[in-house]
Amino acid sequence: MGTAQNDTLQSALAIDPMVVDAAARAFDDLAAKWYAGEPSAEKRNALLQAVIELGFADALPVPDGREAWLDAAAILRAQARAAAPLDMARLLATGERAASIAYDPGRYACAKAPPAVSDARAAALALGRCLQITGAMDAALDLSVQYVQDRKQFGQALAKFQAIQHSLAIAAEEIAACTTLADLALACAVRDGIAAARMASLLDAAALVADRAVDVVYDACHQVHGAIGFTREYALHRHSLNLLRWRDELALLRGGTVRAAERLGEQALAAGGVWRAVTMLMKPEKTA
Amino acid sequence: MRFHFPIFDLPPEAEALRAEVRAFVADEIAAGRWQRGGDFASHYDPEFSRRLGKRGWLGMTWPRRYGGHERSMLDRLVVTEELLAASAPVAAHWIADRQSGPLLLRFGSEAQREAFLPRIVRGEIFFSIGMSEPDSGSDLASVRTRATPVKGGWSIRGQKVWTTFAHRNDFAIVLARTGEAGASRHDGLSQFIVDLKATDVKVRPIVNMAGQQEFNEVIFHDTFVPEDRVVGKVGNGWQQVTSELAFERSGPERYLSCIRLVETALTGAGPAPAPRLREALGRMSAKLIALRAMSIAVAALLQKGEMPNLEASLIKDLGNAFERDQIAIFRALQPELAAPGSDYLAALAETTIYSPSWTLRGGTREILRGIVARGLGIR
Repeated sequence: MGTAQNDTLQSALAIDPMVVDAAARAFDDLAAKWYAGEPSAEKRNALLQAVIELGFADALPVPDGREAWLDAAAILRAQARAAAPLDMARLLATGERAASIAYDPGRYACAKAPPAVSDARAAALALGRCLQITGAMDAALDLSVQYVQDRKQFGQALAKFQAIQHSLAIAAEEIAACTTLADLALACAVRDGIAAARMASLLDAAALVADRAVDVVYDACHQVHGAIGFTREYALHRHSLNLLRWRDELALLRGGTVRAAERLGEQALAAGGVWRAVTMLMKPEKTA
Repeated sequence: MRFHFPIFDLPPEAEALRAEVRAFVADEIAAGRWQRGGDFASHYDPEFSRRLGKRGWLGMTWPRRYGGHERSMLDRLVVTEELLAASAPVAAHWIADRQSGPLLLRFGSEAQREAFLPRIVRGEIFFSIGMSEPDSGSDLASVRTRATPVKGGWSIRGQKVWTTFAHRNDFAIVLARTGEAGASRHDGLSQFIVDLKATDVKVRPIVNMAGQQEFNEVIFHDTFVPEDRVVGKVGNGWQQVTSELAFERSGPERYLSCIRLVETALTGAGPAPAPRLREALGRMSAKLIALRAMSIAVAALLQKGEMPNLEASLIKDLGNAFERDQIAIFRALQPELAAPGSDYLAALAETTIYSPSWTLRGGTREILRGIVARGLGIR
């Protein structure tokens, strides 16, 4: 990584207290889910240190299995929420220190194959993208909720209009579905490892649900913002561009959403029905 | 995240129970005891409910001293989701098992629990919900059915409507006004256990669009209800009613109404299914995995004694939208699937006709979205 880029990232990450805050909160959320209690002070400090220091890629094990994924997930989500410029999922999965790029479907769509990495690394990258997508969607919704409370038209806050309330409610529902699925895939990575047999199917499912969720969130958040959301002056664009980019890459990592759906459909046919396939895929390997 | 859906895996004993339920269903079908079809609100078979009771699959989570089985909410979820996925005839016991029993457990008197719960567990008595009225649908706080104190109890006058299976069920839990509404309009409401077979209760059928009699209107003309049939505290009806909602809205019945259509689609698909069918099945599986994980999360939170009403409302709206999407997707595959002898066309007709009811019963889409919006802090 070049010095200039290093400096940019340093200032974006280390100085922005939002990132540290967000990372701490995200970590607490996840730790509460997984450790059934407060994370140890030691673990928490290590995480914060990793976020603050640029050399955190070395501070963290590459998340190819088990609990390292929890730390990675917390960072990915926090970073996505803060729209920080380093492409963290790629870094964690592949060691590649690329910065984020603008939305450019050609970059992925024209590459006939996913990035040349092992299946496990591709799965790690896909899971990373899922987690980042949930973080960015949360951030876009947060901005929208704030905006409709602040902005007044026809003598009242936009939030008072039922059409606005329902539009953001639908976005929140899609985010909840996508986040739950990402958490489920994360749980699989933590317990059974990123190379678990059912991981591929959970990632196929996540790519499909994320595809829809991003459509709904992208539409609703921009719609309630009006023209200001469609500018480089206002923060929404950072989340929107990240969402568009990560969604495409997630889909491409799975060979496209149609292919992902066909694979899941084949499983349903093989299992003798959608219900049998779904209950099977959601069963942890340990108890299988 | 404003909404909390922690990931829970079903324990091995719950998965073992699933195998048991599947074997039971296979036996029932093989013995020709019922045909797959209808959903939790329409496929009514008291004998089937009694067989479930014998198996210990009614009142599963309730204390043993009331005939319950002290199983977890996750075990109960496994039984209900497997029965729904099989389109089994669960309508008779559904409300009593899901809602009325838990209400009595939470707010009922000891005598009420002893009198009603063991009979629900055995599949001997069935309950209806007595909430909606001709002038009170989504705006439940506006109910006008009134209960007036009389010697030895209460006299109820008013009318309920859309009371599913009131003509076959034994009791309804009726929400009635007993006092002033107050500024919040939530005061002065009470719940009563009303005997639907009593001579001073009139039950009149309302035939639905599918030509079936499931709905009724129930008319109380000075219906006498003894004092010991008041549920919980007089005037506490609103708090009691809203406490049922997490049970009512988060279950698999909110995203599995379309399952028969999809499963019959497979039987008509033949040995070499079209890629379009594979894609449709896969897209459905993906969203179903998400919804089911959310529903399991709510069951696990209920098990821990939490009341995740907000999450439950969110699941219902998302699940209902999902169910309705599937109809359009699987209708588009008619040319591939409408093979002679396939149940697919019957399932298509049934789910299409019934689908408007899915987004109305148990909280309309509009009410649910309002609740989610309140959760976001914008209402």
